Amino acid sequence: MNTRTCIEYGRLTWTSVIALLVLALLVSPAGAQQRKFYDDDPIAREPNTRDASGVLERDIDLMYDLARNLFAVPRNPTLVRAQNINTIDEVPDSEWFTNRIFAKQLSIDEAVKGPDTGQGPAPGKLIVTRAKQSGVTPGFTVKDSAGETWFVQFDAPGQSEAASGATVVATKLFHALGYFQTENYISYLDPAQLEVGDKAKVDTPSGRVRPMTIDDIHKVLARADKRPDGTYRMMASRGIKGRTIGGFKYFGTRKDDPNDIVPHEHRRELRALKVFGAWTNLVDMKAGNTLDTVLTENGRSVIRHYLQDVGSTFGTGALASREWDEGYEYIVEGDKAKKRLITLGFSLQPWQTIPYTEYGSIGRFEGDYFIPEEWKPRVPTAALVNARADDNFWAARRVMAFSDEMIRAIVKTGQYSEPAAEKHLADVLIKRRDKIGRSYLPAVNPLVEFRLDTSGELTFENAAVSAGFATAPRGGYEARWYRFDNNSGTATPIGSPITSQGLKIQAPEGLPAGDGEYIKVEVAAIDPPNSSWSIPMQIYFRRLTGGWKLVGLQRMPD
Amino acid sequence: MEPLKTRWAALIMIGAMSVFLWTPAGSAQESRADSIARQQEDKSKNLQPEIQDRVELFIKKMTEGGWFFSATPRGFYPYFDSVYSGGGFTLGAAYRAYYGDYSFAEVRGLYSFKNYKRIEFRTVSPNHAGGLLEFDATGGWMDATQIPYYGLGIDSPKDGEANFRLQETYLQGGVTLRPVSWFKIRGASGYDRFVEKEGTAASPSIEELYGPGTAPTLGIDPSYVHTQATASFVWAPAEGYARRGGLFRLSAHDYRNVAGDIDNFQLTRGEVVQHIPILRETWVLSFRGRMESAHGSDSDVPYYMLPWLGSGSSLRGYGTGRFRDKHSLLMSGEWRWIPNRYALDMALFADAGTVAPHFKDLHMGDLKYDYGIGIRFHGPEITPLRFDIAHGSEGWHFVISSSAAF
Repeated sequence: MNTRTCIEYGRLTWTSVIALLVLALLVSPAGAQQRKFYDDDPIAREPNTRDASGVLERDIDLMYDLARNLFAVPRNPTLVRAQNINTIDEVPDSEWFTNRIFAKQLSIDEAVKGPDTGQGPAPGKLIVTRAKQSGVTPGFTVKDSAGETWFVQFDAPGQSEAASGATVVATKLFHALGYFQTENYISYLDPAQLEVGDKAKVDTPSGRVRPMTIDDIHKVLARADKRPDGTYRMMASRGIKGRTIGGFKYFGTRKDDPNDIVPHEHRRELRALKVFGAWTNLVDMKAGNTLDTVLTENGRSVIRHYLQDVGSTFGTGALASREWDEGYEYIVEGDKAKKRLITLGFSLQPWQTIPYTEYGSIGRFEGDYFIPEEWKPRVPTAALVNARADDNFWAARRVMAFSDEMIRAIVKTGQYSEPAAEKHLADVLIKRRDKIGRSYLPAVNPLVEFRLDTSGELTFENAAVSAGFATAPRGGYEARWYRFDNNSGTATPIGSPITSQGLKIQAPEGLPAGDGEYIKVEVAAIDPPNSSWSIPMQIYFRRLTGGWKLVGLQRMPD
Repeated sequence: MEPLKTRWAALIMIGAMSVFLWTPAGSAQESRADSIARQQEDKSKNLQPEIQDRVELFIKKMTEGGWFFSATPRGFYPYFDSVYSGGGFTLGAAYRAYYGDYSFAEVRGLYSFKNYKRIEFRTVSPNHAGGLLEFDATGGWMDATQIPYYGLGIDSPKDGEANFRLQETYLQGGVTLRPVSWFKIRGASGYDRFVEKEGTAASPSIEELYGPGTAPTLGIDPSYVHTQATASFVWAPAEGYARRGGLFRLSAHDYRNVAGDIDNFQLTRGEVVQHIPILRETWVLSFRGRMESAHGSDSDVPYYMLPWLGSGSSLRGYGTGRFRDKHSLLMSGEWRWIPNRYALDMALFADAGTVAPHFKDLHMGDLKYDYGIGIRFHGPEITPLRFDIAHGSEGWHFVISSSAAF
C-alpha cells in the first residue's frame, strides 16, 4: 500500500498514520543520530560566543585546593576522550592554548623570544607600589620609570640564579608548547633604585594594612640573594592585561563563564601537563599558580587562562633545591607510606638512591633515571589523572619537536653564570625529551599525517618509527575501507581489508566520487609486541572538488 | 469529528512534525561552531556565581586564622601544649587579638584528660629596634591534680609512689634579643606562687608517706621573685620539629623567696640536640643531652622544683617525676624513619639518665635506661601529637604528648 492509494480511496487507517509517524521520526535528522561531521570540521579555533564580563574575582584557597586534589580528585573509572579536541584529534586554538611548536614552524628565535614584547623594566627609579601577595619568594610590585607595572621576585639567599633562571626558561618552554604565559625578564636591581610609593601598603599579622616603609623593603631584600656587588638579580614579570579574577581549577568548569563548557579535567592541553610537567619537573600544579583574566575583544569579554607561574620546575624550589621525593611521589601516598612504616624505612624508592649532579642554580634535576610514566606532581591533579594514552601521545609529539639547538637556546635565556650549569640543564632536558618520546609515542597506535589522494592512495607515517623509538611493524599495516553515511553514522564496507608493508595503501575500487561524500578507513599496525598498535585508528575523509580532506581521526576508538 | 477527518488531521500533523524535525537540526546547526555556540548559549541561561562551598570556607577560615602552619594566628585557634608533664592528652584553645600591627594579646586555655588545667594571659610585642627586640608578658594559673612523687634519688623505690596537687600562679615579663636568626637571648623576671594540695590520684597523697626531710619544703606554699636568662643557638629549621640541624640552650633561674620561711635557690639547665639525616632524610638520627642542677641548701629547694626524670620528654619508660634530686643527667637517642615527609614520623628510641644529690655523684653506673617505639604526627614546624611506648626496668609506659620528644 502507498500513501496515494490511501488518500485516493479514503482508506486512511490509524495503522498507516502511526506507520507514517514512525517513518518520519526515523528518517529525520533529529530522530536519527546527529551527524558526525559538520562542514567546518575540523575547527581550528574554539569559539567564545557569549559575553563573560559578569564573572567575578574568586580566590581558590590553597589548602582547599590541595585537599580537594589529594582526597577528592574527580576521576572517571573509565578514562574518557578529551572533550575539547576537534575531529582530527587536535586541540584548537582557544583562550587556553595556542598551537605553536609542532603545529607550526617555530623558529629558534621565536622560541627564545617567547611571550616577551620588550626588554624588561626601564632603567632608573623603581617605585614600590605593593607588597607581594602570595608565595614564599621575596618580592614586591613596582612601577618603572616608563610607568609600567612589574611584579618582581628575588632568588633566595644561597640560591643564586635558581628561581629566576628556572622561571624564565620554563616560561619560554611553556609558551612554545602553547600556553599563555606572563612576560618574565631577568633584571638586576641596585637597592638605591627603589622608592616607596605613596600608596604602597603592606599586610601585617594583625590583618591591618598599613603604609609601606623603606624598612619593609629592606626586610624583603634581607630574604633575597645579594650579589657581591651589592645588587640583586630579580625576575620581573610584566602585568597581565585585563581584569584578573583568580586562578582556574584543574577540574570542573567556571559556573559564571558561559563559554567554559568543557570540564577542565577533560581539556587535552591541561591533561597534557602530565607529559610537559614530567619533562620540566613542574611539580607545583595548583590553582594558585594559574591566573584568569577578563579581556574585552571586539566588544565581547572573554576569559583568558594563564599558566602563570611555571617557576617550580627543574630541580629548584622557591627557597631551596627540590625535596628529594618531589616528582616521584604525591605529598600523601598511602601505600608507599605504609610500606615505609612497616619496613622501618627500608622500602626504598628510586628518589632515595639515584645520583644527582647538583648545581646550586639548577638543583636536583636529572635525566638518566627519569621514567616519564612514573613522574608525579605534588598532588594528583585532576586533569593529569584523567590523561589517556592519546593525550600523552599528542603531548609527546610536541615535546619531541624541540630540537637540541632550540632547547640550548632557550636554556641560555636563564642567564646562568656557570656554563656547566647551563649545559647540565639543557642536557637533562634533552635526555628527558627523548625518554618522553620513547615512552609515549609507541604506547598507542602511532600513525600520523594521513593523506588520501585522488587516485585513492592513502599515505601516512609512523611517529614512533620515524623518531627511532620503534621498528616498523613486522606484519605491516592493514586498512579496512568503508563508505560512511555522515547523517546516520553507518559505515558500509568497500572491498576487503588491504595490507601493506609500507606507509602507503591503495584503496579498493569503488570509493565514492561525489562532492560531500565521506569514507572511513580503519588502519592498524600489525606488530605483536606492540599490541596497542593493532587497535585500528579511525580515519575519515570528505570528498571535495579538489580531492579528499581529512576530517576525522580517532586514535583510540571508544 | 468523523473518524476519517481525524485521520486526515493526523496526517497533516505528521507532515508538520516532519518539517519541524528536519529543520532545526539540519539547518540551524550547520557548523561545529554553531553547535558549540548553542551549548554556550544554554549555559549562559543558567550562570551561577563562583562561590566557595562550606568546606572551602571552613578551610579558608582555618588558613586565614592561622590555625595551622602559621606563627601568627588571629582570633580563635587550636592550641597545642602541655599543662604539666604527665597530664595526658590535652586539648587547648586560644583567642588572639592584635593591638598593633605585630603586637598581640591572647588568652589560652588547656585541659587534660587527668583534669590538669591551665589558663593563661599573654602579650607579645615583637619588632622593636629593627626587629632585634621582642617584649612579652605572661600571667596565669595552673592546676596539676595528681603529680607522682617517689622520694629523692636514683634508687627511690617504685612502691614509694605518692602524689600531690600543685597549683601555680605566675606573672612574668621578659625581653628577647635576637641579633641573628640562629641566636637569641631572653631575660625575664616575675612572680611565682606555689600552693600544694592533696593529690587526687589513687596513690597516697604525698604527706601520707613523706615529710620535709624526704620531700623538701613539704607543707610550705612559697612565693618567689623568679628571674631567668636563657641563651639559645638554633641551627635546626624549627624547634618543634626538625630532621636536620640542632640546638644548644643554656638557662639560669634565680628564685628569691618573698613569702614563707625558706631560702632562695637557683636552677641551671643545659641542653644540646643534634639531628643527623641519613640517605636524603630516609632516616634521621637524633641525639639529645641534658643536664639540670639546683643550687641551694638541700632543705630549701622545693621537691617539685628539683630536677627530675621520667616523663614523655625525658626517661620515657618511667612515670612522670620518677627520679628527683638536685642534679640530673639525661641522654636520648632516636632512630627515626619517615613514612610521610609532611605528616608522619616513626622512631625507635632509647633514653638513659640519672639523678644525684651532688653533681660529682652523677655516675654512668647509676643510669636508668629505657627503649621504645613512637609515632609522631607533625607539621613543618610542630609536632602536635606524639605517641610513644617505652620499656624501662619497671615495665612499659605509654606516652601521649602534644610536643616533640626533643
